[in-house]
Amino acid sequence: MHRFLLRTLNFAVNHPVSVYESCVSISKCEKAAASAFRVANGGGVKALSTSSYRHCEKKDDVTPAHQEEKTNAVEDVVPTETATLLTPKAEGEITLVKKEEHNEEPVVLKTDGVDMEQQQADVRVEEVVEPPKQVKSPAANSGKQSLLDLLGAMKVEVTNKSKLKSKKTMSPRPESIPKPNLAAMESTISMFQQATGEAASQSEALDSTLVAAASAAASTLPNSSQAESELLRQLRKNDSVTEAQKKGDTNNLGVIIADMKVGKRYNRQTAKPANQIWFDDDGKGYTLERGITAELDGVRRRRPMFSGKRLNVFSPATAADSVETTVARPTLWDMDFANQLSLSTSQFPRNGLEEMIQWSKEGKLWRYPINNEAGLEEEVGVSFHEHIYLDRHLEEGFPSQGPVRHFMELVVAGLSRNPYLTVQQKREHISWFRDYFHQKEEVLKEADVYLR
Amino acid sequence: MATPGRHVGHYIQRNSRFLLNNLDQLWVNRTFGWTSALRQHAAETITESTDTIVIPRKKTWSKEAVLEALAATVSRDPTAYSYQFQDDPYLTPRTAPELRLYTLAQESGRSAAKYFVNSNPKFFTKDFAEPHIPCLMPETVSLRLEEVSEEALKERINLRKVKAAVDMYDQILQAGVSVSMETTHDLLDLICLYCDKDPVEDEGPETEDVEGAEDAKRNKAGARRASNILKSIWRENNNAERLFNLLPERDTQCYSALIRGMVKHGAYTKAFSAYTDMLNNRLTADVHIFNALISAAPEVRDKYNERWDVIIELLNQMSQQKVQPNLLTFNSVLKALRRCGFLAKTQSIHTLNEMKALGIAPSLASFDHILAVFFKGASRQANSDIFQEVMSELAGTSFTCRDPDDTHFFSNAMRICVEIKDLELAYKVQSLLEVGENWRLLRDPYRSYFYGSFFSLLCMMEHVDVVMKWYRQLVPSVYYPNTQGFRDLMQALDTDSRLDLLPVIWKDIRSLGHDNKSDLVEELLNLMARDTHSPEVQESYAACALDVKSVFAGDRGNKSLEWSPSSLSNITSLLLRANKTQQAWEMLQLFKSKNRVPATGLLEEFLSACHSEGSTNRAVALVQLSAAFCLSATPTLAKRTLSEFDLTEEQRAILLDLESAGESLE
Repeated sequence: MHRFLLRTLNFAVNHPVSVYESCVSISKCEKAAASAFRVANGGGVKALSTSSYRHCEKKDDVTPAHQEEKTNAVEDVVPTETATLLTPKAEGEITLVKKEEHNEEPVVLKTDGVDMEQQQADVRVEEVVEPPKQVKSPAANSGKQSLLDLLGAMKVEVTNKSKLKSKKTMSPRPESIPKPNLAAMESTISMFQQATGEAASQSEALDSTLVAAASAAASTLPNSSQAESELLRQLRKNDSVTEAQKKGDTNNLGVIIADMKVGKRYNRQTAKPANQIWFDDDGKGYTLERGITAELDGVRRRRPMFSGKRLNVFSPATAADSVETTVARPTLWDMDFANQLSLSTSQFPRNGLEEMIQWSKEGKLWRYPINNEAGLEEEVGVSFHEHIYLDRHLEEGFPSQGPVRHFMELVVAGLSRNPYLTVQQKREHISWFRDYFHQKEEVLKEADVYLR
Repeated sequence: MATPGRHVGHYIQRNSRFLLNNLDQLWVNRTFGWTSALRQHAAETITESTDTIVIPRKKTWSKEAVLEALAATVSRDPTAYSYQFQDDPYLTPRTAPELRLYTLAQESGRSAAKYFVNSNPKFFTKDFAEPHIPCLMPETVSLRLEEVSEEALKERINLRKVKAAVDMYDQILQAGVSVSMETTHDLLDLICLYCDKDPVEDEGPETEDVEGAEDAKRNKAGARRASNILKSIWRENNNAERLFNLLPERDTQCYSALIRGMVKHGAYTKAFSAYTDMLNNRLTADVHIFNALISAAPEVRDKYNERWDVIIELLNQMSQQKVQPNLLTFNSVLKALRRCGFLAKTQSIHTLNEMKALGIAPSLASFDHILAVFFKGASRQANSDIFQEVMSELAGTSFTCRDPDDTHFFSNAMRICVEIKDLELAYKVQSLLEVGENWRLLRDPYRSYFYGSFFSLLCMMEHVDVVMKWYRQLVPSVYYPNTQGFRDLMQALDTDSRLDLLPVIWKDIRSLGHDNKSDLVEELLNLMARDTHSPEVQESYAACALDVKSVFAGDRGNKSLEWSPSSLSNITSLLLRANKTQQAWEMLQLFKSKNRVPATGLLEEFLSACHSEGSTNRAVALVQLSAAFCLSATPTLAKRTLSEFDLTEEQRAILLDLESAGESLE
């Protein structure tokens, strides 16, 4: 996950996401915000609402000038975040934030327009990383402290499972220790290391957490044991599907490929457009295919025989002319012509490898893998974010708070880390729970757990 | 997972100095207000400092890239038969006709299997493959939709059922429903392409047709080709024209289909009138129409300059109608120029220059046409610098097939090389063939022709060592020499007096199945028996002669050769020279059984061999044999024997008797 954020940070610039991602790194410096976010999300992977982060960026921009305002802002962030995630009572503040964000919008857009290239993005990151280092340790500390308190209180209010609560409040603890006097660079790195470590441990502990969450959700129903077992059965089914698809790959290789899959999607998504602009501009990336015409030109200059007069009927084609001829769909004549050409060049293979080429062209032979995407035909058009950011599937048909929501967030977190299921399977999995909770709507209402 | 972090750290470190430098400036500026211009300024500076990092463009590999790379490492093994035959050594073809038979059999077997699978899909419903392999499953070749609808029409068009499609179209029209323009275009294309006939049953006969066309230079194919032409003659008022006339509105594409169909199927005049009709309807033509009409131009005019006028007129209309010509346009101009006599030479050069001016790279077919124009009839030698020039332009270029005529280039170029006897050019053509994928442009019937010409040119012009080097490279992996090829080779060996290689050549002759060609075998024996060589060579000759004898005897079961007197005596004398008197004696017996008469010289030679061996008995028997043939030389032989050999009384009596008998006969 964090790898994603970082890589996108490095490359993707044109993307609106980049704004908030650069902010993520800032917020890493102020650990308070980051850890608070993690607590609030309860281990969820989908990061944060963009709005709060834009907000955050705005503050960072302003910070060097007005230090006090900064501290306030950081304190502001804490309630808004928690509000968006947990408490309805903060809605007023949300609108406030939104307004601020709205005001900020033009600036953000402008910077987007300017920061087309990767290096520029880095500049921005560094600019905003630098000031906090100098200014902010006390501010961050106070902000963090208040944030933690607030969160602890909220958690207790929302879920009455003490087990869960202790888990949540425990987990951020090691990270929340401030490291005030480190250089910005180092702190950023260690932040990420910690973050990844935590992510790993969370994914391992996910099972027990899920079970706990399932029982929490189930306990709101009358016959809690039955509901729990139903929920768990579905989860186990998911597990078994995962296992099955995992074993489809060869054991360890499967794990490796799973990692690669994520990285690769990313590459395709974001790296390409940026590079295109880059290379189009300076042209270095292309080896120009001059081919025979260039050579002929040279020959014509040298030799008298093939120079001299031409028919002088046509004028050289302009680009616009050639474009319009390519639009038409292939007719039977074109197919016939192509067939003729291929027949006239078809030869018997000269060795075993050429025979294999011929067979793979005919589709008789399994394609010899040329990259790590071999065998991913089914998901070839699916981008990584559809695998990772599954929260949006919770917007429809699930309560915005409460144990059911909490349970579903855990489910989604688990799914987002699962490389073995297709996006379609993940969606089906979520929609099974949607149906399930809808069927139990009456029961849930009785237990005062609202679906909407 | 730690790497990204480090990555960022790295960046920060790289740029920190810059940042520090700029920080003060930023500080000041920020108090005045945050502007995007400032950021831009900072960003520009950093672009300069990190200029060294160029992220390479993502390279898209073709799906066979790995295999292609591997295949590029494998080169041809000149000692082996080509790969396709290695599975089945027993059936390996050894001559060009056998090769053709083999490939035909393979293709027809394949298409028979395909036909069976496609026509009986019910037997092939099981899909064992995981993942699914679509190309191994039966295709749908029968019609599914029966009701009268546009969908059904489309299905018929896709399956290329011309008659059924026309019927369906008529039914749709009768039902009062209109058909969409797109489908109408497809239908017209279909009818015009196949000339209102159902195409010959798919794949199988198609490949056979290709092979059949290859036969064209050989005997019977002429008849088949003629029947092909007869089959696809554009008939007056066929369905294409009928449908076309029924159309409520006709656009360029309809005319395009009609005109291309007319030209393809020989209705050239009709095509031109359709074109005039189209112009009257104020439509502009497309490039395909022009291509078709240009290639039809030589058919509608008789005089050379009239033909060229038609072509130039068409080209002018093209540029007036703002139609951009393509490669095929100019290739058809050049092809038409081949039939324009005296005009061709200048105009073809102009055409080529026009292509270059328009940035259209000529294909091999263009050069093929140009060469054909320049090397037609007399004054061949004078034009060889054109050829030189063409070859120096082409040298080192790898071509892909862009025109079906591209495949003619190599064999035609080699033919011209042979005609003008220019070995250097032949080497150039050969080396061009080796470049990249160019070998794909030389298909089978042309390939054996190409190598045959090349090899005979080598035999004619080149030193025998070089000839043998090429021979070893080409035979049998790409080229099976025919009788003429071997004869050329033996002549080359003769001129450079390397006749000692003949036994090796004989082995190849045998393995390539030319050992049943009597004239070839006799020529070989003649060459071997003509002169006397060193004992070692004679020894190998004798072994070879015995091998030849076994072929005559029909050892291998195929039809044996007829013994001729010269071959019998050649073999005998070869054996004698290698001191194989016993085998030579057996050969002499063969004369009798085959009713052939040995020459006097041979018998005298035999007698001297007996003398050097000191076998008196055989000498006497020889004279007796000679007497049995009633040869006039018998008395002389008897006299020689009497004087030279140490005889017993009995033998002396026999010889005296024979000598006197001979004399009395005279």
